[in-house]
Amino acid sequence: MKGLSEVIVEDLTKKFGSNTVLDHVNLKISAKEYFVLLGPSGSGKTTLLRLIAGLEEITSGAIYIGGRKVNGMSPKERNVAMVFQNYALYPHMNVFDNIALPLRVRGKSKDATARKVNEVAETLHIRGLLEKKPKQISGGEQQRVALARALVRDPTVFLLDEPLSNLDAKLRVEARAFLKKLQKEVGITTIFVTHDQAEATTMATRIAVLNRGSIAQVDDPYTLYSRPNDVFTAGFVGSPGMNLVRGVARRSGEEWEFHNDDFDLKLGKAAFDGEKGVTLGVRPEQLTVAKGGSGLAGSVSNVELLGSVSYVTVNVGKTPFTVQLTGRPELEIGDRAMVGLRPESVLFFDESSGERIGAQGT
Amino acid sequence: MKKPSALATAVFVLLVLVCLFYLFPLYWTLITSFKFNDQIFTYPPVFFPSGIDFANFFQSSSVAHATSQTAIGSIPWMVDSTVVAITATLVSTFLIAAPAAYSLVRFLKNVWLGRLILFMTMIPEVVFMVPFFTLDAQLNLLNSWWGLALVYLSLTAPFATWLMMGFFNDVPKTVEEAAEIDGLSPYQIFYRISLRLVTPGLVAAVLLSFIFCWNELLYALILTYSPFPTGSETVPLFITSFLITDKSFAWGGLAAAGIFIMLPTIVMGIFAQKYLARGLTLGAVKG
Repeated sequence: MKGLSEVIVEDLTKKFGSNTVLDHVNLKISAKEYFVLLGPSGSGKTTLLRLIAGLEEITSGAIYIGGRKVNGMSPKERNVAMVFQNYALYPHMNVFDNIALPLRVRGKSKDATARKVNEVAETLHIRGLLEKKPKQISGGEQQRVALARALVRDPTVFLLDEPLSNLDAKLRVEARAFLKKLQKEVGITTIFVTHDQAEATTMATRIAVLNRGSIAQVDDPYTLYSRPNDVFTAGFVGSPGMNLVRGVARRSGEEWEFHNDDFDLKLGKAAFDGEKGVTLGVRPEQLTVAKGGSGLAGSVSNVELLGSVSYVTVNVGKTPFTVQLTGRPELEIGDRAMVGLRPESVLFFDESSGERIGAQGT
Repeated sequence: MKKPSALATAVFVLLVLVCLFYLFPLYWTLITSFKFNDQIFTYPPVFFPSGIDFANFFQSSSVAHATSQTAIGSIPWMVDSTVVAITATLVSTFLIAAPAAYSLVRFLKNVWLGRLILFMTMIPEVVFMVPFFTLDAQLNLLNSWWGLALVYLSLTAPFATWLMMGFFNDVPKTVEEAAEIDGLSPYQIFYRISLRLVTPGLVAAVLLSFIFCWNELLYALILTYSPFPTGSETVPLFITSFLITDKSFAWGGLAAAGIFIMLPTIVMGIFAQKYLARGLTLGAVKG
């Protein structure tokens, strides 16, 4: 059934020799969802995609596509489509033949093949390229041909392995919007692998963050950004990343107090009793910086102007805080400055487990 | 125009000298074949003959020829050579080397098997003389095209396999994976994708195998030569007919026959250029 296939990954483990690449991964991807697997290189995200595609063998666990257990099935039987990072077009065939091949091997008639290829080429605006060989067209065009080849046969799931990373920056932003629109139009369950958190948050309905073979968090982009479950996700999602400061939190009366070698902070209502090693996390846009007023005193160590926003890094003792400002900052490197911090915008992560304190409750 | 550097000039001169060194025998054979027989052994040697004589190619016009053979006489022998060389080449490259190389590279992934195959090509072919003779004799294939072709293909297949392994190794893995995703069976991936991408390698293997079969003398002599025509002697054996005594050759006819025999391989080489030079996998995978 076109596009209506949900993908379920159940207790999936993949080992290459003694090296565990994926460790008991569970995922449920709904039909028509635009799902992103996000993680740094080596996190196992591409391996997970290749396991879903059927290009690698499962060590243990199960994968279901459209309710069908697909363990041991070939990619053809799974009827998945995949776009590779380097597009992997067939260099000896012209664009038409590249797109037509999946139909031809399925024994479609010549007329039906030509009709379908032209239809897909129309959708992707590559009608004019059909006679050309892959090396005669640009990277962006090659990418569209790879998409066309994947979409031409109504696959159950659409798998994309970093398809934008070989495009230049401007083209990448265009392709991002195009892919999102395309996925809405064709309505196929899509799994997209990327290491680029901006790519992930702009396109995904939901994101799974992978860290060293395990799922760190699965959520919609906003929740992932505002309520990361652990230190890894907090640091990985968002650019620049969340300010993370190690220290000790302890209760004093009804209030929390955070303290490290560089500063002490009084924070709102206490969430636990006693004393605990924690990592304090706060997003750059939730901090303020000014030459005077109250806050943590420090000195400006870096100023980055990005046009509409700018980032100012202030060192409070040895602890750097990156602060996001709108417009042009009135600070220069070396200036004394005060970093303002609202207690309710601060997250705490347990130092030993890395998990967010209060993650279960809030 | 930019003036070429001293190094570039030196390299150019060196290349010209190397070319002269390699091309001179070809030129010498060519002019010898066209020389009147009394010009062949002159001192000082004649580098630029004054006239052209086709006698060595077509008809003995001069009594100085001690043999009745001319180059045109090689044609029936070339037919034999063509059948043997093409059969051996097609079987050894398309039916044996290409599938074997692909399986070794993609499925066995054992470097030692590849090396073992390369070592096999290093064994002097003369070592197999007695076994091959016995084999052909037992199979009743002595003095036949197929007996010779069988031996030739077993001699060229290991080299062709080793050569093609290198080319299959360079086929991007993701292109094959894309084909797998597109629904091609392993055999279809081999035949419709990978084999097409190693065209330069296949052409090189075909060419080298053909040249080997075309020029091979030892086994042709052992397996097909007899005092009476067997109808399966290849052209290198024809060359031996220019041997007048055990010390002298009919040089003019020999040179003419040499030119004749060279032609098919030279023509093949020229046509193959296009495929050999083209890096077909270029542009397959970006990045």
